[in-house]
Amino acid sequence: MNINWSRNKLTCTLVTFFIFFLMQSTTFAQISDRHEEQALSIEKQLLCPQCTNERLDICSIQICIDMRKEIREQLQDGHNSDEIIFYFQNRYGQRVLAELPRSGFNIVLFGWVLASIVLVTLGGSYTLFRLNQKTNIDWK
Amino acid sequence: MNIIATLGSSFLITALSCTIFSLAASLIYFRTHTNALLSLARHSIIATAMLISFSLLVMAYALLTNDFSIVHVASVSSKNMEPWMKWASIYSGQSGSLLFWTWALSLFLAIFSLKTLPKIHWGAPHAIIVMALLLAAFLIPLIFFTSPFIISNVTPEDGRGLNPLLVDKGMLIHPPALLAGLVSTAIPFTLAMSALMSGRLDSAWVQHAKSWALLSFLILSIGNFLGAWWAYTVLGWGGYWGWDPVENSAILPLLPIAAFLHSQTVQVRRGIFKGWNITLVLAAFALAIFGTFNVRSGLVASVHSFAQSEIGPYFLALLGIISFISIALLCLRWNSLKPDRDLDSLLSKETGLVLNTYILMAITLVILGGTLFPIFSELIQGVRITVGPPFFNETTGPLWIGLLIVMSIGVLLPWRKTTRSSLLKRIQIPLTISIITVFFLLIFGIKDFTVLITLFSAEMVLLVTLREFFLEGKVQKNISGQPLFQSIFKLFETNQHRYGGYLVHIGVALIAIAIISSYTFQTQTRQTMATGDSFNISGYQRKYEELSESKPGVNGVSKEILAKVEIDGKKLIYPGQRLFTNFPNQPVAIVAIDGNPLRDVYVFLQGWTDEGMIELHVFVNPLIQLLWLGGAIYVIGAILAYTPSNRSTETLKNGTPIDEY
Repeated sequence: MNINWSRNKLTCTLVTFFIFFLMQSTTFAQISDRHEEQALSIEKQLLCPQCTNERLDICSIQICIDMRKEIREQLQDGHNSDEIIFYFQNRYGQRVLAELPRSGFNIVLFGWVLASIVLVTLGGSYTLFRLNQKTNIDWK
Repeated sequence: MNIIATLGSSFLITALSCTIFSLAASLIYFRTHTNALLSLARHSIIATAMLISFSLLVMAYALLTNDFSIVHVASVSSKNMEPWMKWASIYSGQSGSLLFWTWALSLFLAIFSLKTLPKIHWGAPHAIIVMALLLAAFLIPLIFFTSPFIISNVTPEDGRGLNPLLVDKGMLIHPPALLAGLVSTAIPFTLAMSALMSGRLDSAWVQHAKSWALLSFLILSIGNFLGAWWAYTVLGWGGYWGWDPVENSAILPLLPIAAFLHSQTVQVRRGIFKGWNITLVLAAFALAIFGTFNVRSGLVASVHSFAQSEIGPYFLALLGIISFISIALLCLRWNSLKPDRDLDSLLSKETGLVLNTYILMAITLVILGGTLFPIFSELIQGVRITVGPPFFNETTGPLWIGLLIVMSIGVLLPWRKTTRSSLLKRIQIPLTISIITVFFLLIFGIKDFTVLITLFSAEMVLLVTLREFFLEGKVQKNISGQPLFQSIFKLFETNQHRYGGYLVHIGVALIAIAIISSYTFQTQTRQTMATGDSFNISGYQRKYEELSESKPGVNGVSKEILAKVEIDGKKLIYPGQRLFTNFPNQPVAIVAIDGNPLRDVYVFLQGWTDEGMIELHVFVNPLIQLLWLGGAIYVIGAILAYTPSNRSTETLKNGTPIDEY
C-alpha cells in the first residue's frame, strides 16, 4: 500500500489544529459563557445608582449600561465578584448594594427583625398561656 | 379669574365647612341629646361627599377641556392625551392623588353614614366625630397646602403630559383600587374608635366592622394584584414584586386586616381577643396613613412616590396624632377588654387563629422595619442605603412558610377542642401525599430546602382545603341528593363567608407555589443580535426579524420601537420600548410574553442601534401563570366571602338587630 506520508502529515496536522481550534474555541466559549453568567450574577447584586430601587441587570439608563460594560471588562481582567462589587460600593456608596450588609448600623435592622419575632412569639405564647390556665390539652 | 378653579376650590372649602359643622353638631349632641342635631351631623357627612364629588367633576372637566391655566392640569395632562387616559391624570401627582384619596374617603364615609350609622345607636355621635375629624384632616392640606386648583401665572400652550409609567390601561384601575383600599380601612377604624369612645366593647362593633374589613381586604387585594400585574407587564424586569417602599406601604394595611378577619370570629363566637381585634383595626388604619406619608414624604425613593415633600411633615404629624389617640384610648379601656371566658383547649381553632394573627403581625413588623430603615439610616448616619428584596425574602420567607403551615392545620381544627388522635386522623391523607410529593421532588433533583418546605406547606393548604370541600360536599350530597360536584357548589349557598375564605386559602397556596418556582428557578439571558440572528431558549428557536418604528402621537408617546421576533417560524412577538416627548429619559418597556401554563418566556428590548442591532433581555419564569390563577381564585373567594350569605340575610330579614349579637 502506497501511503502518501506528506499528505497524511498535512491531514493529521490539519485535524490536530482543527481539534485544538475547537477545544480552544469551546474553552473560550466556556470562559465567555462563564463570564456572562458571572456578570449577570453580579448585576443582580447591584442596583442602579441613579434610579429608584432598580436592579442593575434590568436598568436601561446610560450609567447602568456603562456599569454592565465595566463589570465584563473587570471579569476579563481577572477580578472576582467580591472585588467588583466592592469597587462599585466604593464608587457609589452602600445604596448600590441589593443585599444589605450585616454590619455596622444595619445590625439595628436585623435586631428589629429579631425583636419583632420574639415580641410576637412571647405575645402569642402569653395570650395562649393566660387563656389556657384552667385547661389542659386532652392528649387521648 | 378662572371660574373652573374657583368653583373647584369653593366646593372643597364648603366641604370643609360641612365637616366642621358636623363635628360641632355631634359635640353639642352630647350636651343636648337632640336627635335632630345628630341627623344634621350625619347628613353633613353625606353633603361633604357630594361637594368633594363635585370638586372631582370640576377637575375632570378642566382636564377634558385642557385648561392648562390650572397647574395640576398642565403638569399631568396634554392636548394629545386620549380622553379615557385623563381619568388617570386625576389621581396622578401630589394634589390629584390627594383629591382622589379624600373623595374616596368621603364616599366610603357617606355610604357608612347611610347604611351602618343608623344601626349603631350606641356609637353614632362618636362615629360622626371621628368621620368629621378624618375628613377635615384630609381637606385641610388639600385646600391650604397642595390644592389641585392652583392657577399658574403663565398659561402654557400645552401640558407636560402624564408620567410615562402611568400611560397604561392597567393604571386606570390599579391606583384607584389601591387608594380606595387604603382609604376603606377608615371605616373599621371609625367603628373601633366609636367602641372605645362609647365604652360599648362587646361584639357589636365587630359585627359591623367585619363586612367593612372584608371590603377593604377585597379592594386592597385587587389593588395589589393589579399592581403586581402592572409591574410584570410594564416595568420590564421579569418580576412582579420588588419590595419597593411604596409597594410595601400597599401591602402593610392588608396584613392586619387579614388578621382581624380571622380573629374577629373568635371574639364573636367566644368573647376572646377583644383588645387584640381593636389593636389590629387601629394598626391597619395607622399603616394606611403611613402609606400616604411614605408616598408624599419625599424621603423614600420609589418608582411610585412623588418628588415633592411639602406635606410630608403634615402627614407625619397626622400619623403621630392618630397613633397617640388610638393607643391612649386603648390603654384607657384595657380593663374592659378582658376575655369573657378561657380557652377550652389548646388544640382548638382558637389557637390556630391566634397563631395565624400573630404571624401576620410579625410579618407586618418586619416589613415596616425594612421600609423605614433607609429613612433612619439617612437621618442618623447620613448614609443612604437600600433595603432590597434579599432582605425581605430572607426575613419574611420563614414567616410566610409558618403561616402556610398554620393555615393548613387551622382549617382542620374544630372550635373549642379536639383530641390529638382526631387531628392526626384528619391530617393523615394530606400529610402523606405532601410527604410523597417532597420525596418525588428530591428524586427529580430539587434539593433546595426552602423550595421543598414551601411546596410542602402550600400543598398541605391545598389538600386540606380540598378535603374540606370534598367531605362537606358529601354531607350536602346526602342531604340534597344532588351529584357531588353540584353539592360542593351548593356549599357556597349555605355559608359563603366560610367557603369564600377557603377559596382565598386555595388562591394563597397557588400564589406561594408560583412565587417560589418563579423566584428560585427563573433563568435569564441577554442576547445582542443583528437582523436574522437566532437564539434558542426553553426549547424554542427565536429569530430576530426586523426593527420597526412608529409614531403614535397620542398620550405623549413620541415613538414606539418594536423588534419583530419569530418563534419557531410560527408565532410572532414584538418586544419594544415607548419613548415620550416630554420625558426623554423615561422610556417605558413594551414587554412581549410568550407564555404557557408551565412557563412564561418574557422578552424585553433593552437597547438598539440605528443599524438595527438589538439587545434582548429574556427571562424564563416557571409556573408564573399560577400567580394570576391563584390571584383570580383569591379574589373570587374574597368576593364570595364579602357577599352576604343567605343565612345572614335571613337573620336581617327576621329583624334580629345585628348589634345585639
